[in-house]
Amino acid sequence: MIGSNHFLRPPGARTEEEFLSRCLQCGQCAQVCIFDCIQMRRGFNFFLAGTPEINPKVAPCYLCMRCSAICPSDALHDIDIYEVRMGVAELDRKKCLTWKEELLCRSCYERCPIKWKAMILERGEYPVITDECAGCGLCEHVCPASAIVVTPTRFQDRSNDPGKKLS
Amino acid sequence: MRKPTLKTCRRTFQIFIALAFIFIPVLNRSRYSFVYGNFLSFQAFGVPFADPLAVLQLTVKNWYFTLDTFIGALLPLILAFTLGTVFCSWICPYGLLPEWAQKVNRKFVARSPREGMSGRKGFPYKIVIFSLGFSVFFLFSTTPILNQLSTAAWYSRFFQYYFGQDVVSLCGLFLISLLCFECVLGKRFWCRYICPQSVLLVLVKLLNRKRLKVVFAKQDCICNSGYERCKMACTLGLNPKTEDNVLETECNNCGDCVVSCQKMGKALSFELPFAGIPFPHLKIQVSVLFKFLVVAVFSGILFFGIVRWIFHRKLKRMATRFSLRRELFSRVND
Repeated sequence: MIGSNHFLRPPGARTEEEFLSRCLQCGQCAQVCIFDCIQMRRGFNFFLAGTPEINPKVAPCYLCMRCSAICPSDALHDIDIYEVRMGVAELDRKKCLTWKEELLCRSCYERCPIKWKAMILERGEYPVITDECAGCGLCEHVCPASAIVVTPTRFQDRSNDPGKKLS
Repeated sequence: MRKPTLKTCRRTFQIFIALAFIFIPVLNRSRYSFVYGNFLSFQAFGVPFADPLAVLQLTVKNWYFTLDTFIGALLPLILAFTLGTVFCSWICPYGLLPEWAQKVNRKFVARSPREGMSGRKGFPYKIVIFSLGFSVFFLFSTTPILNQLSTAAWYSRFFQYYFGQDVVSLCGLFLISLLCFECVLGKRFWCRYICPQSVLLVLVKLLNRKRLKVVFAKQDCICNSGYERCKMACTLGLNPKTEDNVLETECNNCGDCVVSCQKMGKALSFELPFAGIPFPHLKIQVSVLFKFLVVAVFSGILFFGIVRWIFHRKLKRMATRFSLRRELFSRVND
């Protein structure tokens, strides 16, 4: 995954600018992560090398919030999981097995850490992602049809960013 | 049993630290949760340590530091203030490896091992490189990029990558090539001329004139000028036999010269920090008091660490709430 820019920051991360100026690259968040989803970034870009990244395709974040509690330099805020905005998941209804009415899947709904807030089931069957989505990437990880893609917060237009006041 | 010399103690401690930073990622991988981090920022049993330069970069760019980073940077600086740059000679793994590289150099490469190196030259270069790097950071970067020049961080980060992520990182290659370079040159090039991390420690050390230092008593010196054990023992190539200790800016207080002089005339010895300052009420010297102070400070740190270990989550939450509120207020004022 070297060179891929499509990675998430750990939960509770500030905006990318603020995060980069505060992160000491000590890797404590990667070491405390019990799911081994936080990796220290590799590569030759020494502005980014050593900073934490999460690749939801490889290992998603389970929102245990240990990393944001341990961060010594406050690059990661220690906040509730309801306030986390790592990114926003988008569901492609043309690919989703349930929306295509091929089979009753619900993998994403079963795994979502903020069930019924970030993800609701329309008419009890069809998954819909709401504004409360934390962007942890669990749904992207488990989706069998890869219908869900999480866009990191830093790539979004900041004017309609729901997590603006927190991140 | 023979009492171990200072050099043996130092080497043992250095190897212990170097091994510890290999095993920290292994411990973390096995989910032991009492020690985290690398040489940039580190915590053990709730006591934080941080690289002062990293914290300085953090503070300069954000005008803000956290309790963890503040205390973490303060501890090495206090150590430097009282004991000099013992960090370089006792703790830093990149102090240990070049010393071995220098041994290799003296055995296999160098033609005349006694060839003295001129001292007191390194620090001005270091200052120049430090200020250059810091101005580059200040003008062009918000990321603390001087962290990438920390060889100690390379060392610990290599094992973080290797045991934490099963990846062989390139900083290991950098480290090995730098060590080969040191083997050929044999002058501890990085420590003397470049290492930007040590500059702050040296500057803080210079603030305190009564710190731990090596003193030279000329009347006890019995060796002739041709064969000077102390000069050869110094890994930094300094000459300890100067009366006013002008070379002290670079001296790491490693004590190798003191050990080598034990067999000769005992002309070199350590002077305890704050020596000669009387403490009026107790009628003892501060240097005697210092020993008690060390015990007190260490137990204080331990107590603080345990308390912080227990209430860590709560403290961090409070700090986060505070900073969030401050940011919201500043946005309202805009």
